[in-house]
Amino acid sequence: MKNYLSEHYGDDSFQTLAGYEAKGGFAGLRKALAQTPEQVVEIVKASGLRGRGGAGFATGLKWSFMPKTNERMKVIVVNGDESEPGSFKDRMIMERGPFEVLEGIIIGAWAMGAQRAYIYVRGEYTRAIRTLEAAVKELYGKKRLGKSTFGVKGFDLDIVVHSGAGAYICGEETGLLESLEGKKGQPRKKPPFPAQHGAFGLPTTVNNIETFAHVPFILDRGVEWFKSRGTEKSPGTTLFGVSGHVERPGLFELPLGTPLREVLGHAGGVRGGRRLKGVMPGGLSMPVLPPSELEVPMAEEFLSQRGTHLGTGGVMVMDESVCMVRVATVVSYFFRDESCGQCTQCREGTAWVHKLCQKIERGRASDADLALLSDVPKLMEGQTICAFADAAAWPIQGLLRHFRDDFEAHLREQKCPFPESFEL
Amino acid sequence: MPKIAIDSVEYEVPEGRTILQVLDDLGLLGNGVEVPHYCWHPKLSVDGSCRLCQVEIEGVPKLQIACNTPVANGMKVHTKSDRVIAARRGVMELLLINHPLDCPICDQAGECKLQDHAFDWGVPAARTTEPRRPAKKAVDLGPTIVFDQERCILCRRCVRFCREIPKTGELGVVNRGDESLLELFPGSELDNPYSMNVADICPVGALTTRDFRFKIRVWFTDDVESVCNQCSRGCNILASRSNNKVYRFLPRRNDAVNDTWICDHGRMSYKKNSTGRLTAPRADGREASYTDAVKRAGELVRAALDAKGKIVGVASPFASNADLAAFRDLLAALGAGPARFSVPRGESDAILIEAEKAPNAAGCRALGMVESNEQLGRADLALVLGHTLTAEVFGDVRNIVLIDTHESALSARATVALPARTFLEKSGAFTNSRGLVQSFSAVVEPTIEAWSESDALAQIAAAAGIA
Ligand SMILES: Cc1cc2nc3c(=O)[nH]c(=O)nc-3n(C[C@H](O)[C@H](O)[C@H](O)COP(=O)(O)O)c2cc1C
Ligand code: SF4
Ligand code: SF4
Ligand code: SF4
Ligand code: FES
Repeated sequence: MKNYLSEHYGDDSFQTLAGYEAKGGFAGLRKALAQTPEQVVEIVKASGLRGRGGAGFATGLKWSFMPKTNERMKVIVVNGDESEPGSFKDRMIMERGPFEVLEGIIIGAWAMGAQRAYIYVRGEYTRAIRTLEAAVKELYGKKRLGKSTFGVKGFDLDIVVHSGAGAYICGEETGLLESLEGKKGQPRKKPPFPAQHGAFGLPTTVNNIETFAHVPFILDRGVEWFKSRGTEKSPGTTLFGVSGHVERPGLFELPLGTPLREVLGHAGGVRGGRRLKGVMPGGLSMPVLPPSELEVPMAEEFLSQRGTHLGTGGVMVMDESVCMVRVATVVSYFFRDESCGQCTQCREGTAWVHKLCQKIERGRASDADLALLSDVPKLMEGQTICAFADAAAWPIQGLLRHFRDDFEAHLREQKCPFPESFEL
Repeated sequence: MPKIAIDSVEYEVPEGRTILQVLDDLGLLGNGVEVPHYCWHPKLSVDGSCRLCQVEIEGVPKLQIACNTPVANGMKVHTKSDRVIAARRGVMELLLINHPLDCPICDQAGECKLQDHAFDWGVPAARTTEPRRPAKKAVDLGPTIVFDQERCILCRRCVRFCREIPKTGELGVVNRGDESLLELFPGSELDNPYSMNVADICPVGALTTRDFRFKIRVWFTDDVESVCNQCSRGCNILASRSNNKVYRFLPRRNDAVNDTWICDHGRMSYKKNSTGRLTAPRADGREASYTDAVKRAGELVRAALDAKGKIVGVASPFASNADLAAFRDLLAALGAGPARFSVPRGESDAILIEAEKAPNAAGCRALGMVESNEQLGRADLALVLGHTLTAEVFGDVRNIVLIDTHESALSARATVALPARTFLEKSGAFTNSRGLVQSFSAVVEPTIEAWSESDALAQIAAAAGIA
């Protein structure tokens, strides 16, 4: 399924400056440059665009937090870390539509008065890095970056592509800033917020790759056009990345609010005609949905009513063969391994949760252990420097909420009752 | 100034401070308002990682950490609500799943924050049966500090101390998650002039000083306020004593002098109280009773006076203001000129350590004494407090009456030598390099017969028949 973002994905020329322009590229930027920065911020605000990095924060509002004065250099940081398991949309955008991202960044820089943008890309995404670097180079070659960007006097923007080293916590915006500065990637306490004290101490806005990619279309085609897609509170499309037990895993650009059943339909439905067991709708950290929720519109306002979130739109599908205790064990292993270890609740809690899951999975646990597995995530939630501890607690809580039977079966039978589930 | 309410009591507080700083400024912390904390330290940057200091703020949905939340006018803070207490209990339970419950053998027992807070907020029984994280025991981090890794709660106070105070940065936390470990920077060791402060600020028994470790249980000691005498900074200290013995010096907070730190040299100087002391009075090269030695000193003074001989006074920048004043008065009565004094000098730094290696040079100056290292020249009698001049300076002096704490080349050469009490054995005051007069009180009784310099001078004056 293609839509505006991915319309030309697959056409290799779209990754070159000439090819991008031939498809009408930079029309949005030209319209932006004809307006004042304040007007551009207002347009993005009016469009209702929400960040696509997982938290769904209103983009225009975030842009308006940047200081209006030019005492200090202002910085844009583009989050291309894409470290949420189950997510692979940003990679596709960087590899297939690098100029969409760059155009969005340049519009953002104009709107916020930024002079530098860092694109922080997950280190393993070597192709994305190469593609972005080539695109940035082409723009510099045509003197469209640096001094007098796109020929506008006084608009001097530099763009740097920075390769990360692959740590989930370096996707969290302040962990990313620490990493960008060459330090150990661990989130910063707030305040101060990045808009006052961000990258290298400068006023900074962090947005996701996909967030920037939408911006040129909003500027070019208008707020009404943008809002005609998606839901009232979540306008536009997103790239749903469907993985797991479906016939045709892949990326599908669909309007926000598309029912989950339809999203799965684009991926060919559950593999081999098996029955669906559960879906994590937005990446590994989002609580699982049971099959009874297949009609839910895939937008934050509807998902949060069902105790889960849109996250990054990485839809992970599990069929009936899957043991949810195994899922919990794998999930908790991941979070245990990736916690930066600063906060007591997260450092100690993730490890404890993982040990409990392991014990239950191996059939060596008691009722008390299961009771603890319900309790410990509660100790972790809502009290830490960053949302990682929440992200670690939520999926466990979701699995227990909807699949408690699987856990109880392990206690009863003292082994895993799902012989066909994936191997640990 | 913003007004805030803490547990429904209103306070007017300075702007731009955090809740915890304000509580500290007002002297309320642990003194009416309980906001337990591990990572926060009043003299280090905010870390915000232990998450123990959470408080409830009206109108803010989530609990907030008091150490990193700036106060704002009208803010209503609650430190005792059910939510706050539940959060504290949660943090304590999580910290205790990996912390060994070895208080009976841990050297920090009795002054451990984990023990204290576990008593107040801990769970009655551990809900975990998993084995605790294995870790290294009794690792030498350097010449002064020993590390018991399994007790570390990763508050990073020691890391921030090394980065921010001596700026040597020997320590860091490596790895992630529950594998996080405090480690030395590869190839380095914790060896800076302030290294032992990390043991004071470590809230648990993970860092201890090799010097004090396993010497005595802290509940057998009591701490007496004193002032370090090893340089003119005059750092405020506590002397821990038991059985008439000093076991250690600890820094005592004084924001105007030493914040909350002392240097390792000053800390270890407690040992000087018991080593190299001048233990017995001497007269004419022989040991004598205190009474006989004082008598002989009196004779020397009388003889010099009667012969209208030259009497010189040499003061010590280690003496207290009261002793120096008594000396000044006696010299005046004897018709001698102002005392001279000399200050040993060494290295200084930008933190605490001063070049003048004595506590009371400022006191000497204030009392009109004259600084000089020159030869004393011809004199019948030198009355000397302390040991800061070399014996050669006294080359042409006929008789020396010395009142001093420690043996020296001069005590061997003196006609009369009288043991004096050290600053730990008497009360008094020093004037530090910034002119701050700081008093101290006696920590221990001398184990030998010794008097303060002023008492010894009074006895000599009496023996010489001077009113
Ligand atoms: C543990 C953790 C990991 C995150 N990883 C990513 C990531 O890989 N990419 C991303 O864009 N945002 C990630 N985020 C969200 C960012 O902190 C931030 O909200 C986002 O980059 C803001 O961009 P947006 O407003 O455009 O969504 C993560 C957040 C957390 C708590
Ligand atoms: S919540 Fe976890 S990942 Fe986030 S800062 Fe705290 S310890 Fe690090
Ligand atoms: S050794 Fe002590 S001070 Fe250092 S991090 Fe561990 S608990 Fe904190
Ligand atoms: S700095 Fe000077 S006064 Fe302070 S502890 Fe060291 S020697 Fe003593
Ligand atoms: S004291 Fe505030 S988080 Fe540690």
